[in-house]
Amino acid sequence: MVRRIQSGSVARLRLAARQAAALTWATVTEAIQQPLALLLLLTSVLTTLLVPVFQFHRFGEDGRLARDSGLSCMLVFGLVLAAGTAGRSVAGEIASGTAAAAIGKPVSRTTFLLAKWAGVCGVVKVFWVATLAATLAAERGSARFVEQEGFTGYATDALTIALGVAGAALALGVAGAAHYFWRRRFGVAAFLGVALSQVAALAVSEVCGRWFGSRGEAACSAGCGVEGHAHGAAEGWLAYQPPLNLRVVAAAVLVLLALAVFAALATALATRLQTGPALAVCALVLLAGLAGDSFAGGAGGLSVRGLAAGVLPDVQHFWLCDALARGGRIGWPYVAEAAGYALTVCALFLTAGCLSFRGRDLG
Amino acid sequence: MGRCGLGGQPVIETQGLCKTFRDFWRRPTVAAVRGLDLTVTAGEVFGLLGPNGSGKSTTIKMALGLLRPTAGTIRLFGFGPTDRRAKARVGYLPEVTHLHPFLTPRETLVYYASLFGLPLGEARRRAEELLEMVDLKGAAGRPVGRFSKGMARRVGLAQALVNAPDLLVLDEPTSGLDPVGCCEVKELIRLLASSGVTVLMTSHLLADMEDVCDRVAVLARGELRASGRTAELLRQPGVTRFLVDGLGAGEAESLRAELEARAGRPVCCDVPAVRLETFFMQVVSREGSARAFEVAPFLRAARQAREESGA
Repeated sequence: MVRRIQSGSVARLRLAARQAAALTWATVTEAIQQPLALLLLLTSVLTTLLVPVFQFHRFGEDGRLARDSGLSCMLVFGLVLAAGTAGRSVAGEIASGTAAAAIGKPVSRTTFLLAKWAGVCGVVKVFWVATLAATLAAERGSARFVEQEGFTGYATDALTIALGVAGAALALGVAGAAHYFWRRRFGVAAFLGVALSQVAALAVSEVCGRWFGSRGEAACSAGCGVEGHAHGAAEGWLAYQPPLNLRVVAAAVLVLLALAVFAALATALATRLQTGPALAVCALVLLAGLAGDSFAGGAGGLSVRGLAAGVLPDVQHFWLCDALARGGRIGWPYVAEAAGYALTVCALFLTAGCLSFRGRDLG
Repeated sequence: MGRCGLGGQPVIETQGLCKTFRDFWRRPTVAAVRGLDLTVTAGEVFGLLGPNGSGKSTTIKMALGLLRPTAGTIRLFGFGPTDRRAKARVGYLPEVTHLHPFLTPRETLVYYASLFGLPLGEARRRAEELLEMVDLKGAAGRPVGRFSKGMARRVGLAQALVNAPDLLVLDEPTSGLDPVGCCEVKELIRLLASSGVTVLMTSHLLADMEDVCDRVAVLARGELRASGRTAELLRQPGVTRFLVDGLGAGEAESLRAELEARAGRPVCCDVPAVRLETFFMQVVSREGSARAFEVAPFLRAARQAREESGA
C-alpha cells in the first residue's frame, strides 16, 4: 500500500517535472523571440561596453565607473526584461488563451506558474551572462594609469572593447544569415548569439592578453592633468596587460538574485495585472527596496513603515557594487546568505501568485 | 437531470450549474449559465446549440476547469473538472485557436504532448502522424503565427487529439475551415465516435451539427430550452416521404394524383437535390483537389485498444 502511494507520488512528480520542462522551454523560446528582449540585451551590452569610450573626464576611477554602469544596466534592463517577459508569458497568455489551452491539459496551475517563473529566470540568466561579460570587458577596457618603460599616462584596452562590439555585430549578422539561408529563428539566434559573442570576445581578449599582451591605446601623452608622472613621448599603441576584475562576479551574482526576486514578483503580479502595471509595481518595489534603510530605518514593527520594511524585499542586500571599490571583495558566504534570503522572498511572492492564479477565471 | 441518450456511462454530468461573471467590485454583470442539468454519455456525439451569448463556451470552459462555477456541480468521468485524471482523458479545441505564434506546428504538437507526460520520442511520432492527418506536413517548419485561420485551426485540432482522448471537446470545430476541411473534421468525429470516443461540440453551423450529433441540447440565455436525440427532435410527425428512383414525369404525376385522391389532402412531389456540400466534394474529388483522409495511426491503435477492452 505504502509502495503504491510512493510510486504514485513519484509518477505525479515525474509528470509535473516533464510538464514544467515543456512549459519553461516554450516560455524561453517565445520570450527571446520578442524584439523587445533583443533590444534590451543589445542596449545593455552596448551601453556597458561603450561607457569607457565616452568618458571625457578622467578622475582615475574609469574602471569603477564602467563596472558600476555595467551592474546598473544589469539591474535596470534586467528588471525590465524580467517584468516584460513575465507579463507577456503570464498576463499575455491569459489574455490570448494559450494559458487556458495549457491548463485545459492535466497541468496544475501551480506547475504552470512555477514553470513560467523558471522560464523568465532562464531568459534573465542569458541576459545576465552577456551583461556580466560586457561589464568585465568594459572594466578591462577602460582607461587606467600605466607606468612602464617609454610611457607614463592613461591607456585604454581598446581591443577588448572592439572585440565586444564586433562580437555583438557579428552575432546579429550570423543570426540574419542563418534566418535567410537556413530559415533559423532570428530572435533566438540573435539573442543567444549576442550572449555567446560577449563570452567569446572576453575569452579571445584574455587569450590575446596572455599570449601577446593587450594592445592598449595610449590616449594621453601630455597635458592630461594628472600630476606626479612623466608623460610619454608619443600617442599611439602600447603593449600592456590589464587584468580581468573577477571580483565583479560576486556582485553580479547578487544582482542576478535580485532579478530572480523581481521575476517572481512580476510573475505573481502578472496573474492579475497587465505588463505595464506589473512593471510599474516592480520599479516601485526596486526604488522602495533600495531606499529601504532611509525609508523604514528604526521603524516599529507595527507601524506602516515597519510593515512596509517587513513586506518589501530589501534590495540593498543585492546591490553591493560599492563594496568592490578600492580592491574590496564580496565574500561568497555573504552571497550564499543573500541567496537564501532571495529564495525565501521568491517563495513568498510565488505562493501569493499561485493563490491569486488559483481563483482566476481563464478564457 | 438531462436524458441519457445512448445508455452508456455518463462522461459529463452537470447539476444546477450556474456561472455569473462579476466585475472588479464583485458585482454580478452577466448570468452566463443558469441551472444547467446535462448528461453526456460515453460514445455519443453531443451538440450544444444556441445563439451567441447563450452559455455554450462558458459551459465547456467550466467542464474543463478553466472557469469556476458560481453554483452547481460538474463531473468529468466521475471526477471534478480540475482533477488531472479527468483532464488526462480530454482533448480540447478552443473556439479561437490559441497557439504560441513563434513555434512551428511540429514544436506545438510536441509541446502539448509533453504536457500529457508523453516521452519525447512518442510525442514526436504522434506529432508527425497528426501533421500528416491534418495535411500540414509541408508547413511543419513554419511558425504558426504566420498561418491562415484555417491552417491554425488544423493545428488546433491536431493538438486536441495528441493524447488520443476519450472525450473530445470541440468549440466551433469547423470555424475557419474550407469545405474539404469541414468534411474531414466531420468524418474524423464520426470515426472517433464509432471507436467509443465521446464528443461534445458546439457550432453555429446547424447543418454540421445535424450531420454528426447523436444528441443536441439547445441553450438560450444560459438556460436549457430543449434536448434530445437529433433524429427525434427533427422528425416531422405525420409527414411521410417516398423516394423513388427512375420514375418518369408522367408516372410521378399520376402517382401524386392517386395519392391525393386516396389521402384526401394535397401531396407534394418534387425532385430531391443533393446538398451543396456533397456537390462540392464531388467536384473537388474529380479535380483531384481532395485528398484521401486517413486517421493518424496512433489514433487507430487507440481505437483498437478501446474496442478490445470493450470501452
